[in-house]
Amino acid sequence: MTSQTYISMPSYTLNCRMSREAAALERLCQVIRVRGFRIARMAVESAGDHIDIALTLEGTRPISMLQSQLEKLHTVAEVTPGQASGVQVQTA
Amino acid sequence: MNGAQHILQAFHRHNISTVFGYPGGCIMPLYDALVDDVGVEHVLCRHEQGCALAADGYARASGKLGVCIATSGPGATNLITGVANAHRDSIPMLVITGQVPSGLIGTDAFQETDVLGMTLGIVKHSYLIDDANTLPAIMAEAMALARSGRPGPVWIDIPKDLLLAEVADAPFPAPEPEENSHPELTQALAMLRAARKPLLYSGGGVSLANAEDQFRVFAESSTLPAVVTLKGIGNPGKHNPWNLGMLGMHGSRAANRAVDECDLLLVIGARLDDRATGRLDGFAPNARMIHIDADAAEINKLRPADLAIRGDLNDILTALTDALVHRPLAISEWQTQCRNWHTMGGFQAADNEEPLAPITGPAFIRQLSRIAPDDTVIACDVGQHQMWVAQHYQFDHPRHHLTSGGLGTMGFGLPAAIGAQFADRQSTVINVTGDGSFMMNAQELATIRRYNLPLKLIVMDNQCLGMVRQQQELFYNNRESQISLDDNPDFVAMARAFDIPALYIERTDQIRRGIETILAFNGPMLLHVAISREENVWPIVKPGASNRDMIDETRRTSPASKEHIA
Repeated sequence: MTSQTYISMPSYTLNCRMSREAAALERLCQVIRVRGFRIARMAVESAGDHIDIALTLEGTRPISMLQSQLEKLHTVAEVTPGQASGVQVQTA
Repeated sequence: MNGAQHILQAFHRHNISTVFGYPGGCIMPLYDALVDDVGVEHVLCRHEQGCALAADGYARASGKLGVCIATSGPGATNLITGVANAHRDSIPMLVITGQVPSGLIGTDAFQETDVLGMTLGIVKHSYLIDDANTLPAIMAEAMALARSGRPGPVWIDIPKDLLLAEVADAPFPAPEPEENSHPELTQALAMLRAARKPLLYSGGGVSLANAEDQFRVFAESSTLPAVVTLKGIGNPGKHNPWNLGMLGMHGSRAANRAVDECDLLLVIGARLDDRATGRLDGFAPNARMIHIDADAAEINKLRPADLAIRGDLNDILTALTDALVHRPLAISEWQTQCRNWHTMGGFQAADNEEPLAPITGPAFIRQLSRIAPDDTVIACDVGQHQMWVAQHYQFDHPRHHLTSGGLGTMGFGLPAAIGAQFADRQSTVINVTGDGSFMMNAQELATIRRYNLPLKLIVMDNQCLGMVRQQQELFYNNRESQISLDDNPDFVAMARAFDIPALYIERTDQIRRGIETILAFNGPMLLHVAISREENVWPIVKPGASNRDMIDETRRTSPASKEHIA
């Protein structure tokens, strides 16, 4: 049995376009994790040589910090932020 | 031409003359191609970690691209520490590993590991080649990427069958240089002129941008009091009267005081690392900040900048210098204040006048600094000796000081010194190491002997892991845990086993002769220096504390106050 707590954590949406290369999604997900965010939703769509990824992310750090780190990835063409909102997140 | 031959041809096109590597099953086609290629010097180290760290040292000392090569599986995994080291310090590096043949990927084949997956977090970028015809474009892109913007390691993993496959040779044009204009410079100058206590804060980004000369001109002409990070040591030059030295956890009281009191911090090529800033909310509390860096992701990462300028440091420093030359800053009162602090609170270490006294680390390094030629390259390892070098050796150029700043890799120094010696076979290269670090890559003594490199090794031996012992003493109630190395091998006998002559010294009156002897010797030589086990690096800021709360030798933590640190 695990204890559960409910904390309010900011939620963000980011839309990301990147090249369709080996490990593209792993690379993206790793940066998101290492920089302190969790993926709540992720939709991936192939578009020719690119993939478009729509992300809903949760984290307490500034989203601009993650955006600039994602933009550093060589195969990321564009990162567009959406609107921030507060959500109740259930953690185990 | 097959894939392996193309890789060598790409080296020639990009003036890569020296690579560090270790052969094995899946990279054998590249080693076969090397047999017929006399234009690339391949340095065979004795461990893949040695290869990566030597390539790193080569790049740091020369400003060129470091290249290392290994086979799949354990060859690749052994490279990882060295590549992570380069990544954390933004060193331009190309890594090439063989992979199991394309058809065997994902079958748990012999010496198969998911190199691409396991290295994602320690590279600037990486590739797994799946079509031999993409190799020319990827080689060109990888070499440009490793050196551009904020440099870093780029890893190419190539299956063995594609090393053997025919490749259409098509040279790729170099990318167009980025053109930048910096309208923010006007505002930067206005902020500098409005400040009463402006301070120059520089880091490793200066040499990464090959902007050492332009930085020196700016530092001298602006007459700004200057502090440096560990990787920025040497930026202002040792004769700059406004150089306050290193700030941070083991920085000088003067440098930390100046940061604490300044009203404008001009940060150039630095990322505000926690070892430099201490607790962030106590860092430069009265200062506005101008942050100039090649990497946009460093701007506002840890502390918001009042003004940020991203771009090539050479261009930006030239423009700032030109503007200040015509109308110097009026900061004489602040300059005098900083100089007084430096006189009173710079790094102090008295030479011991007692000839039979045991050798102390700081006194030894100060002697070394006085005796070694001005252009000597010092490759440090990690620990107390590393901090004594940073504090007490007078560096005149950042490329003379090779140190593992971000990752803090014990075992870095010896292979890095090998790399630096290959970068310039005529230069004086000294690996200053500790007894713990030395044993981490001691197998590379064989590489020194094989290539008859004239580099010098100084092992400062306190029979323990001194930096860990120091923190256990100060912050863990003096509860020593797993730090004793009092069963070290005889380092003199060990060096001699590799046919490297060696000397042992333990008294103050032996320091000068010991240093002069190894420097005069025509070939590699090791100096084993016994120092006190109980000596600490002072001052120190407790990890997580503010730089304002530096601890001096006279303010040791009471053994009764049991404190634990993260």
